[in-house]
Amino acid sequence: MIVGGALLIGATIAVLGGGLLLVLAVVTVRSRRRSRNQRDQMLLSPLRVPLITVASGEDDDGSAAEQLTWATGVTRTVLDSNIVELLTKIRGGPGDQLIRVLEVHGAVDAAVSDLTHRSSVRRARAAQLLGLARADHTVPLLVEALSDESVEVRNSAAYALGLIGDPSAAGAVLAAIGAPDRGLPAATAAEALQSMGVGISEVLREGMRDDNARTRMVAAHLSGERSFTRGLPELRHLLDHDTDLTVRETAATAIGRLGRDEDAAVLSRHTVPTEPLSLRRACVHALGELGDDTAVPTLAALLDDPDPRLAELAASALLVLGPGGGAALAGHEDDPAVRTARLMASLQKANA
Amino acid sequence: MSAPAGDPDASSVRVLVADDDADIRDLVEFKLTQAGYAVEAVPDGISAWEAFAANPPQLAVLDVMMPGLSGIDVLRKIRESEHASVPVLLLSAKSRDSDVDTGFAVGADDYVIKPFSPRELLHRVNGMLARAR
Repeated sequence: MIVGGALLIGATIAVLGGGLLLVLAVVTVRSRRRSRNQRDQMLLSPLRVPLITVASGEDDDGSAAEQLTWATGVTRTVLDSNIVELLTKIRGGPGDQLIRVLEVHGAVDAAVSDLTHRSSVRRARAAQLLGLARADHTVPLLVEALSDESVEVRNSAAYALGLIGDPSAAGAVLAAIGAPDRGLPAATAAEALQSMGVGISEVLREGMRDDNARTRMVAAHLSGERSFTRGLPELRHLLDHDTDLTVRETAATAIGRLGRDEDAAVLSRHTVPTEPLSLRRACVHALGELGDDTAVPTLAALLDDPDPRLAELAASALLVLGPGGGAALAGHEDDPAVRTARLMASLQKANA
Repeated sequence: MSAPAGDPDASSVRVLVADDDADIRDLVEFKLTQAGYAVEAVPDGISAWEAFAANPPQLAVLDVMMPGLSGIDVLRKIRESEHASVPVLLLSAKSRDSDVDTGFAVGADDYVIKPFSPRELLHRVNGMLARAR
């Protein structure tokens, strides 16, 4: 009994002691951060006016930018970090001027060296800086960083390549999605590729033939988003034959965005009950997006589908298919699916 | 960059700027002040609404994501107030179509996505004020 009580007291003291240490650690970290911020603000305060003058685009004679280039030592490090942050918020001429300040400070060259630093945080920051500085001569290095062992560095390299916007890197970004063990998240890759302009359409066509399903999905998604109609044969093939359901759904959505009238038949083929429900829904929605009234009979037949969401999607599609679609809805006005579709349409109209 | 053409006294035009990011707040204030506007800059949504209610400006530039009241909340309050016709420009890093749709649905007159060009922002402010006259 006495031993048990002593153990309990010991455990309580240990827990309280641990908690106290944790609180002390948090307080110390916060205090250090606060004093570092205060130091940074103090160092930056003489440069605040020229910095804001340049960032706002009011440095017509370049004197404020020149003043920023004079910073040295810790002040320069703090200033460069502030400039990098500003580059995420502004663009245009002021951004170009701030990039020149970074170049004069040697920050771009330092970032190139840091891409191989042992710290992954330094490597990720370096990649980000090179992207924000639009350092297009570093594209090959950033492509290499797409296979870095750290996912943060890979993400940062993809982000940087997107900012630079050089379409010659598109193939590498797309391929990085399917890299074994060191893959790039699909969303990060898609965002980077979005920024690379129209020169990536052929890369996306190739991507739709890739062995990796996530690569095919991103390529299909972007082909639809960017309206790359040259990718239509590949999209139709993915919808008809791909082994991955998500890829097929993505292809259906893309066809809805950029397909031809004859694609109504392609999409209609996959609305039958033998297809997976999620694919049927994607195709029905895509038929509405496509807007070809030859889909009216297919959609009208789906108004009585046992899946209420599919019936509602069919009703929504019919609502946008003109007089033919409207006629198909006659006699179904009291159906919950049609009522919901009409309500959603009126809400969207009110919001617009 | 000068004040709107044909405005003999741009300093009589008051613009409210609300952004919790000191960099953005300072540079927008500086840009608009250089253009001749009288700018009141505040760091959060609650201060923005208080400043608006106390002395309605001719135009407001509101960040969307602010502590307390968001830019959308402030805009909603403005549109429900007796000064509902004051033009409002939303400035935001939220760039999805649905974010922009929400901004306009609540009553924004313009929506500028960060990163933004300060020069373009000034053009838009000038244009909105010219149309409001």
